Amino acid sequence: VTAGEPIEDLLRVLAPRVLGTLAHRDPDFADCEDAVQEALLAAALQWPVEGRPDNPQAWLIAVAVRRLSDARRADSARRAREHRQATLKPTDALASGMDDPGRSPDDTLTLLFLCCHPALSPASQLALTLRAVGGLTTAEIARAFLVPDATMAQRISRAKQRVRATGISFRMPSPDEQTERVRVVLHVLYLIFTEGHTSTTGPVLHRDDLTREAIRLTRLVRGLLPNDGEVAGLLALMLLTDARRAARTGAGGALIPLPDQDRTLWDAEAIDEGVRLVTATLGARPLGPYQVQAAIAALHAEGDSTHDTDWPQILMLYRVLEELSPNPMTRLNHAVAAAMVHGPATGLALVDELAREGQLTSSHRINAVRGHLLEMSGDPEGARSAYLAAARQTTSIPEQRYLKVRASRLSQECSVEA
Amino acid sequence: VDWHTGRQEVEGDDVKYMVLLYDAPNIRENLSPELIAEMGALMSQLTESGELVGGEALADPSVTKTVRSVGGIPAATDGPYAEAKEHMGGYLLLDVEDEKRAVEIACRWPTSVVSAVEVRALMNQEISPQ
Repeated sequence: VTAGEPIEDLLRVLAPRVLGTLAHRDPDFADCEDAVQEALLAAALQWPVEGRPDNPQAWLIAVAVRRLSDARRADSARRAREHRQATLKPTDALASGMDDPGRSPDDTLTLLFLCCHPALSPASQLALTLRAVGGLTTAEIARAFLVPDATMAQRISRAKQRVRATGISFRMPSPDEQTERVRVVLHVLYLIFTEGHTSTTGPVLHRDDLTREAIRLTRLVRGLLPNDGEVAGLLALMLLTDARRAARTGAGGALIPLPDQDRTLWDAEAIDEGVRLVTATLGARPLGPYQVQAAIAALHAEGDSTHDTDWPQILMLYRVLEELSPNPMTRLNHAVAAAMVHGPATGLALVDELAREGQLTSSHRINAVRGHLLEMSGDPEGARSAYLAAARQTTSIPEQRYLKVRASRLSQECSVEA
Repeated sequence: VDWHTGRQEVEGDDVKYMVLLYDAPNIRENLSPELIAEMGALMSQLTESGELVGGEALADPSVTKTVRSVGGIPAATDGPYAEAKEHMGGYLLLDVEDEKRAVEIACRWPTSVVSAVEVRALMNQEISPQ
């Protein structure tokens, strides 16, 4: 934490520490979270005018504790009775926040486990993590998820009610539980990342923040769990994927597929860090799906073009990934890699197998891949109808536009040949 | 092949749904207080769960103005566009986990026992990670 840091960034770093300190002592997580949000708001308003306090964390803890006890006092007698024994004394929290800075990282991890508790729905986990750990305001989260503030406020308050109702406590899960709980945390961080990453420029420009936030939080988790290979794998996957951001879309948010991307626009520094992370983690630890996906992303990033890409290696990694976490999307990507190594007929056979099993039938991706593979195999008519079928299925405007362009390019070819 | 996606999951697709509520003939005249209360209860449940993004009821079809091209010039006439028995009566805009959940909500809409309810996905500006 440096003095020159913008106040907003500082507040986001401090938010989980302050909340951790409060939640550590007071059993009502929902009340603590409200109090911390109020303290953050007070800081955002006061610090730019009155200057930054000498110990920002202690200031926030003091204000949050005061808000918490004010809220309690204003509350009904019933609530006050319920909490009397557990209610925190302001001086305790203040002291702990200042005297014991070493405990903060553990509290942040405990906080993440609470926000990503399996009893909460994925939507609640995402929203709560962004607010409690990420220090984002409800309005910022609402904007990122493209819903009205009131909708997001309801979602967050619902999540907090659920924490209260199910008696989820602010404590570290037992060592046996931890492995599984870390998986949930990583999944939530991954979902936050994809929420931001799938957005294109234009009306949803500010969603880039979610990608940055996901990377920031994953770095934080990496600091807390430096020996977990999957944490490193997820961070690498995010860095390698995000490195291509600038090249993914052209004018007006139009989609640019991988082979057509201007590779000089890729973020070399992010690729470098991602590749280093992946290299360090592969083989050294038990392998998990994020590490394998990161390794695949690294191979894509290292090729000078799609033709230079090490497809046999990618195919091998998809086989490993299917073993580790069977999933229809993995199988579809496997089909693409198989086509690149063994030819389109092999890929098409795998795609047909997926379709026969009724997998991904409502997704446009099966037809999109089929279109590409048919085009590769020299069947422009078949490719064209597959692209058009995919265009009807997708709900993404940029993807629909892309698929229609692919289809119309083929119909021109067909008429020229005829 | 350029449709490579590094994405492992199918979920996370940010799709919102519009539930189009059609009115059966004379349904408005026959809406019982119980039915209206049921609608209100479902709306507040969806608000509370954070799934309801918006929703409105439309006025009676008889007060519709329809703009049609008459000789290439747009002109307004009284009355609805189509001589249909069922007219759109309102909509709900949902942000839910998946299509299954949107359909479940549509089935729970009180008038779905007498008239049609359509679930339509909204287009968006998202692209798959690649």
